[in-house]
Amino acid sequence: MADFSERKLKDTQMKASINQTLIESGEKERLKEMLRNKLIECGWRDQLKAYCKEVVRRKGLKHVTVDDLVSEITPKGRELVPDDVKKELLHRIRAFLAQQKELSSENIPY
Amino acid sequence: MVDSQLLGMFDIENETPQSETRSVEEDILEELVDELSFGLCIEVHRSCKIGMFKIEEEDDEALKEFKIIDQPGLDVFGQPPLKKHLECVCPSCHRSLSASRFAPHLAKCMGMGRNSSRLASKRLAINSGKIDSDEDDERDIDWTYVLQPPRTRRMKKEKPVVNPLKRTKSSKLGKNGDIPSVSSTNSDGSGNGTAPVKLSSGGTPLYDSLSLEERKRLLLTTCGVISEHTKKMCTKSLRCPQHSEEQRQAVRRYLLGLEIDDRVRLRSDGTVIDSDDIQVDIDTYEDGDGQALRDTLSRLRWETSSSGNPSPTDSTSTTNSNEGQTKKRKKGAKLTQRKKKRPPPLQLVQSSGHSDVTQYDIANG
Repeated sequence: MADFSERKLKDTQMKASINQTLIESGEKERLKEMLRNKLIECGWRDQLKAYCKEVVRRKGLKHVTVDDLVSEITPKGRELVPDDVKKELLHRIRAFLAQQKELSSENIPY
Repeated sequence: MVDSQLLGMFDIENETPQSETRSVEEDILEELVDELSFGLCIEVHRSCKIGMFKIEEEDDEALKEFKIIDQPGLDVFGQPPLKKHLECVCPSCHRSLSASRFAPHLAKCMGMGRNSSRLASKRLAINSGKIDSDEDDERDIDWTYVLQPPRTRRMKKEKPVVNPLKRTKSSKLGKNGDIPSVSSTNSDGSGNGTAPVKLSSGGTPLYDSLSLEERKRLLLTTCGVISEHTKKMCTKSLRCPQHSEEQRQAVRRYLLGLEIDDRVRLRSDGTVIDSDDIQVDIDTYEDGDGQALRDTLSRLRWETSSSGNPSPTDSTSTTNSNEGQTKKRKKGAKLTQRKKKRPPPLQLVQSSGHSDVTQYDIANG
């Protein structure tokens, strides 16, 4: 268990450092922009918006909250992302990580 | 271990052996997707709260109803284009006309503008039983230079009647000397009998080759004032409103008294052309002129400015008649007093040693 918790800690540390690198290099923004465009292109946004409307109608226009929406929309959003968009983004992220690893293999503890 | 579940969901390619890295990628992607959906949630919520949601929803329905149709041959509403004939009813004559023709029609119908006002007033007069005087119409037509062609056409109609006479007389007249008209004086050196035929066929005035009797007859019935532009005689009645009595008298004087004068003029033409270097002494001319000279002067003035409109255009065109001579004169002596329009005979008087002097004297009595 100690091994597991240690590993988990290591994981979170690593994730945090990767996240930081992503933000610092501006890659995250670039990725987000790219993803947004792709998702708008493939109609993900429209689908999700329609779903939003449905949710709003269900809950009532006056009573709907952001939490309601987020809790309903986020899983749906993940679900609706098309496979090819997913693939492309994963490739992109992987390429970036590999690049970072090469650049500073000594800095990032694996 | 937890990540491996996610890995199974997201991992499509199992190339990379490191499960941590893969999960990191997926985490990042998921985060991004979540961020975007969160953004959308915020947006939708906002639109709900400020009332945009309702509007957008209705707008969607409206969009379906009023969707812009993009098909060839149809307009944006999906209707085939119809040719609409807009028709207007004329308030004056109660006829219905297409809109494009309405404005011109109305102008005519209401009597705006020159022509239409005349027409309208005429129609009004007819309707009311009054007969409008045609005199006004005729005058209006004649005063405008643009509307001259109709007149010339009328002249042409008459021509065939006169022409045979002209042809037969021309040879006889040639003996007498061709009668120099306002325009024929320009053609220099044509002192032969053949010239009049040529000139008359070339559209020179009719009065050129008419005999005295014919002229008399003509002048008894018509106004006869020679137009400046067309070089043709007015064929209207003796009381033609376009020309003044003075003009008519002048033309009669000119045409009936021409024959004697013309002979001299013609002969003189030939001489003038030969003698380019004649020196004209103005002083001697002024001293030596008599009543006869004044007569010829005024006569010439009349014949050149027959229309009697003392406008600047007239003065320029009238000089044309004497241009041939005046130019020559200018060569010899640069006269400043060209306005005098001295007729060629006068020069001859001054040019001593020519046989024409005697001729001229005879001519003028």
